Amino acid sequence: MQPLRIALAQIGPRLGAFDDNLARHHDLLRDARAAGAGLVVFPELGLTGYLLQDLAAEVAIRLDDPRLAELAAGTDGLSAVVSFVEESADHRLFIAAALLEDGEVRHVHRKLFLPTYGLFDERRFFAAGDVLRAAPSRLGVGVGLSVCEDFWHLAVPQLLALDGAQVLVNISASPGRDLAATNEVGLGTASSWRLLMRTYAQLTTSFVVFCNRVGVDESITFWGGSEVIDPSGRPVFSAPLFEEGLFTVDVALEDLRRERVALPLLRDERLELEARELGRIIAERAGMAADTTAASGAAPGLDVAPPEPYESPAADAPARTAGPVRAAEPIRLRARRR
Amino acid sequence: MATVPLDDAGRPLFELPAELAIDTDVARRVISGFIRGQLRQAGFERCVLALSGGIDSALVAYLVAEAIGPANLLAVLMPYRTSSPASRADAEAIVADLACQSELIDISPMVDAYFGREDLAGAAGPEALAASAIRRGNLMARTRMAVAYDRSVTFGGLVVGTGNKTESLIGYTTIYGDNACAFNPIGDLYKSQVRQLAAAIGVPRQVIAKAPSADLWPDQTDEGEGGFSYPLLDRILYWRVDRRRSLEELAGMGFERALIERVDRLMATSEFKRQVPPIAKLGPRTAGVDYLYPRRRPGSARA
Repeated sequence: MQPLRIALAQIGPRLGAFDDNLARHHDLLRDARAAGAGLVVFPELGLTGYLLQDLAAEVAIRLDDPRLAELAAGTDGLSAVVSFVEESADHRLFIAAALLEDGEVRHVHRKLFLPTYGLFDERRFFAAGDVLRAAPSRLGVGVGLSVCEDFWHLAVPQLLALDGAQVLVNISASPGRDLAATNEVGLGTASSWRLLMRTYAQLTTSFVVFCNRVGVDESITFWGGSEVIDPSGRPVFSAPLFEEGLFTVDVALEDLRRERVALPLLRDERLELEARELGRIIAERAGMAADTTAASGAAPGLDVAPPEPYESPAADAPARTAGPVRAAEPIRLRARRR
Repeated sequence: MATVPLDDAGRPLFELPAELAIDTDVARRVISGFIRGQLRQAGFERCVLALSGGIDSALVAYLVAEAIGPANLLAVLMPYRTSSPASRADAEAIVADLACQSELIDISPMVDAYFGREDLAGAAGPEALAASAIRRGNLMARTRMAVAYDRSVTFGGLVVGTGNKTESLIGYTTIYGDNACAFNPIGDLYKSQVRQLAAAIGVPRQVIAKAPSADLWPDQTDEGEGGFSYPLLDRILYWRVDRRRSLEELAGMGFERALIERVDRLMATSEFKRQVPPIAKLGPRTAGVDYLYPRRRPGSARA
């Protein structure tokens, strides 16, 4: 069996410039084909840039957009994963990843988990997808698509693998942050991602293909570091951090069989157990069933009781911050300039 | 682990609290890409910065030179007549070391034209002859800002900010003065981290070692004026802001409670300096509220 050559298009899209990014995709698809790639992966929102805010509606395309069909037309004998803002018929905007194969749009995954915390504000601008499906592929193995934050939820890689995916593709626009010198590669984000991806590859005995963008949108620098990890959790390839490029790596799909025979974790998964316990937890959280695992005193739907009964502070009790904590010497720290 | 260079007497050049140490190689790569990205998106190729001779603007000068080359950097030296000659000498040493472009603009006539000088009243009238140090310092900072933005036009470069995270969080900055800029490459680095990065990138040792000062009057120093040491202040801010520790938890770690409370108060009272001013919400779409676009988008770059 010939190795599968995967091309990771670790690019820095131009924010809001759909046509420029589209032209870049066409060029890179051509380059990847010339390099003998069988699977080409572009990052999250590679066709539009990430930090779109109100631009999202202006760069959104429908799935029947001729520009998407044109891009798909370039995938004869090739698989490609591309990403854009999809506007549905009912005018919801999704962050979409599409699997293009043999000239067609074979599968579309709509980002399920939209981070809206910390530096993220995705739920404000986008709708969350509702469907998670593995897709059959011309590669001869099932492909599971996910977008960035989707991979920070354990169920996603597991469901994709159970649904038949043997290659888990995650496309990301991950902002680099936390430069603490104690990190593995000087970047906390990279350390966290690598840990979870290697764990998923091992636990699902699947290939993990990660394509993360580079470049800058506003304050944010995306860190790249795209990876391919084999079904034993071993990184086969790690792209450089922050550098733009089309990186190719060969993988042996037979490794899937070897690993799954030697380590039949997927065979041993207990779906009925998960479904049963999930059913119970869902009913309990909704307050529709007595919670058998909650601490006594917990409100319906909450597993945890308050740590101790709340007592209002007595009126004559000393305030917590008053008293002896006052410094003996005045501290002169103050800002002088206005 | 991060290492701190030694001075001639074999002592560490500065104190770097362990939790604040960063990977300086990664920081330089991120900042270089950030600077180039900001310029590209705005349609510029050059930068202008106010170079004081202090460590913050020195570090930014080295970072900009590393990102786009020294020929594309204009360092503007803007002393006032009471500014320390040592500051100017340090600024000139930085310009020489980087081989960047530079201009010297004495802001004394501009500032004196407003406040007056000796017993000759200026535009602000006789009362202003006795203007406080705060008023004078603020006008100097805003005059330098005005000059930097003028040079932005003549040189065709974006004004780069040089404020660090420590001074921004406690509000030790003049709004629309030294904090005015097109973008800021070091605004998320504490002073201790500025020192660490400055040492890594090759800022002259005397600039790293000297006491930080706004140099708005003779012998002023930040730490003397504020009554704090930067490493201590940086640690409090880091645990409070970045690591979300409560006042109680910080006190439990051994920080003096009165100092934590003081720092909290400084952060709260200076919140306005870190934000865009609010606009009264009247229409259907309001900038910054529900009209939200990236600062730079297709069509926004200078042609």
